[in-house]
This record gives sequence, structure tokens and C-alpha cells, in this order.
Amino acid sequence: MGTAIVITSGKGGVGKTTSSANIGTALALLGKSVCMIDADIGLRNLDVVMGLENRIIYDIVDVATGGCRLEQALIRDKRVDQLSILPASQTKDKTALDADRVLAIVQQLKEKFDFVIIDSPAGIEHGFKVATIGADEAIVVTTPETAAVRDADRVIGLLEGQQIRSPKLVINRIRPKMVRAGDMLDIDEIVQVLSIDLLGIVPDDETVIAHNIKGEPTVLKPDSKASLAYRNIARRILGDSVPLMVLDEEQGLWAKVRKLFGSRA
Amino acid sequence: MGSRMTEQRQIDQKPPVSVKGVKGGLLFVLDDHCPHDELLNHLTEMFHGELSTLFSGPETNVFIDYGARKLSIEETRDLLRIFIDKENFIVKEFGNETRARNSLFYHHKDKMSQVKEHIYKGTVRAGQQLLFDGDVVIIGDVNPGGEVAATGDVYVLGRLRGVVHAGVQGNQTAIIAAAEFSPMQLKIADWVSRAPELDGQPLRTFMEFAYLREDGMAVDKLLYVHSVRK
Repeated sequence: MGTAIVITSGKGGVGKTTSSANIGTALALLGKSVCMIDADIGLRNLDVVMGLENRIIYDIVDVATGGCRLEQALIRDKRVDQLSILPASQTKDKTALDADRVLAIVQQLKEKFDFVIIDSPAGIEHGFKVATIGADEAIVVTTPETAAVRDADRVIGLLEGQQIRSPKLVINRIRPKMVRAGDMLDIDEIVQVLSIDLLGIVPDDETVIAHNIKGEPTVLKPDSKASLAYRNIARRILGDSVPLMVLDEEQGLWAKVRKLFGSRA
Repeated sequence: MGSRMTEQRQIDQKPPVSVKGVKGGLLFVLDDHCPHDELLNHLTEMFHGELSTLFSGPETNVFIDYGARKLSIEETRDLLRIFIDKENFIVKEFGNETRARNSLFYHHKDKMSQVKEHIYKGTVRAGQQLLFDGDVVIIGDVNPGGEVAATGDVYVLGRLRGVVHAGVQGNQTAIIAAAEFSPMQLKIADWVSRAPELDGQPLRTFMEFAYLREDGMAVDKLLYVHSVRK
């Protein structure tokens, strides 16, 4: 029996779909069988980010309403064998999914896959409830901004009310320079406010956008910091203890000299 | 002793009757202090005046809580008659400490008893609203966007960064205390106040509390609580 993990945030635009795609792919690269569910009905994105848009014939609403069998709607990834995706519907809206039906689908997938990754829509209404109902665990994605942290806090409260085992935190889009200058919330500060376990931090990396456009999850390219960050997250999900990444960029010669003499920059 | 809070004001006079939607109907909480005649007039105005359409319609269960008010037999009759005469009202409860009123408050799963001191363990997160009957100690943080209200005192053994309302039913001697005191907003009885903005000031590690004195709200170190509240 596999584990279902919902990836959620409350606020939109913090990187839920990107995180889902990358965490799912990274888990598959580590040898686990993974199925990703796009629960953002009406605004489907996960298939686009994964570059699988042109292969969709059936979607999750078809499965839920009995229009096709579950196996027919699953799309096998073109690069990673162990990875499948159950796409959302583009034409219907969020109310088209019934919580009980989704629960049944997630249960069925858990029997076949090691991990079921559910990409939740933004917000805390019906779509959020549907996305979280079948989940055993939750990953809350936030960015170092006040509004995103506030929404993450709200969502954690709701998840705790639903008896989801202690949600884990991913802080996305960190810019070390801005944090150092005090223009972005500090990681410690965020963890202290939200008081949940930190699963990983992901630096703001332009290659993520470049890969998004090409329809390739960043983790497939091992050369960027964001890619390494998502691989680390996947390893921590599997129980490895991987130290947090040091985000400080290469410093100039003078900074190194100053460090050498122990003075504060 | 006691620095005054910035930006404070008294909330407008509360009407003598507050109506709350509860499970299965409407709860009418009657003010303890206002004169009996004024209460009757207010109710009559509510049910038969300009806004009476709000209360007409399909049959509705009503629960009436008169709090600490002492009622003579005559007064009880007058009061009840107003509700009974309203054709679509079904009077389900009439008294003080009614079940409907108590259901508004946060209860621990194990003890639904008449405890007036509560200990809440955990973080009060954004969007959560907790209401306690009596005093409460929050062991954990109250995050921005979280709200704690109590009919008595509120103590936060953690970081208070949200909204706290002590003495919700008018207790002006109620206090608010926290290990780290940086609330968004404070309310005691019918006073509301905003904490001074402390930009860039280092975190303070002592407990402080807010209380009311003749000239408004003040904040002090918690160790003075006993000298303030003889």
C-alpha cells in the first residue's frame, strides 16, 4: 500500500504545481513508482509542466463520473518509466468532482503505486477539500512573503483539523541575497511561526522557469540548485537525513579574505 | 508605571440584545445591566419595528439567555411574552448559562464540565477563532490572523502576534498577558487597541500584560499584575 501526499499552499502562485512535478519526478528517479494527480480542475497545469499535454484523452472527471476506466486516463511519462499522471479536466470546474469519488480513486492508486502525489488547487474551498480527502500526508509550500506564510498557517490549521499526519513545510523561491539584506523573511522565522517540520528549501532559480517552458521538470537536469533541492526533498520523504542546503552564493575574494580574518562583513 | 497603548478607542455602545446564529436556531443574549424597560422596548422594536422582517419567515427555534439578570415573576412573564407572541418563534430555552450559549465556547473533548479555567495547548493559527468561558492559558503561539477570546483573562505562554479579546462579556478587570507581546490588536471588554509599532526592535523576553485604568488601556510587566489588581 502506497502513501498519498497532497501538495498544497492556500495562496496561489507559490509553486505548488512546480513542486508537485519535481517531487514526483524525483521520487520516480529514486526508483519509486509514482502517480501524480492534478486536482486543480478547470485550470489544469501539471500536464503542461510535465510536457504531457498532447497525450491526454481522458481526465480525472471522466474517471470520477464513470466515463472511462482509471487505467485509461493514466498517462505514462515519456522520460521516467515509473511515473504516471492523472490529468485534470480543462473544461469542467471544481464542483465537478465529488469528494467520495476522489477518495476511491486515490485508494485504488495507492494499491498500485508507492506514492500518489496530489497537486491541490489554490484556496481553501471545495477544491482543497477534495484534494486533501484521500491524503495520508501533506506538504505545505510557501514562499518567504508575509501573505504566503499567513495562508500556509491557515492551511496547516485546516489540515490538522482533518487529521492529516503532521504536515511538512517546503519554502520555495528563496533569494539568499534578499534574506541577508532583511528584505525577505528568514527561514528560521518562517519555521518558528508555522511550527511544523521543514522538509526542504528551494532557491529561486531561473532555470526552473526555463524548464517549465520546455515542459521538463527541473530535477531531470542535475546541474541547478533548485534541482538538487528537490532531489534532497525526495530523499527526505524516503527517510534519508540530508542536511539543508547552504544557499549563500559564491562570495567575492574580499568577502573570503574578511572571513579569513574573522571580521563581520 | 504602565505605558499607554497607542490608537485606542472604546467600541460603540453594545445594543442590549445580541443575536447569534447557533446550531438549530437563533440565540438571543440579553445584556445583564440595562434597565428592564429598555430591554423590553428594544425587543419590541426588533420584532415589530422597521427591521422586523429580519426575524419573520419560517418557524425558527429560539434560545434566550438573560445572563446574570435578576428577574421578578412579572418581568419574566413580560419578557417571555414578547418571544412567545412572535408567531414564527419556537422558544426552546430560557435561562442563564443556557446550553445554546455554552455551545458557543470552545470545549475540550474530554471535559464538558463547568470549568472556568482552560488550558489550550497548541498554536492558534491564522483563521482559527477560539472562545473560552472563563480564563484561558494558551501554551503556544497565537499567530497573526488567529483569534482568542475569553470571558475572563487570556494568558499566552508564547508569542502573541494575533488578536486577543479578554472579558468579551464586559468584564473590565480582565487582562491579556503574553511571553512575547506583539499583538495585532487587543480588546478588553468594549475597548479596542492596537499595539505600538516596534520596527526593528529586538525581541523582548519578559511577559507583559494589558489592563484598563482610569485613563484607558496600559501595558506593564506581568510581575506588577498583583499590585494593579489588589
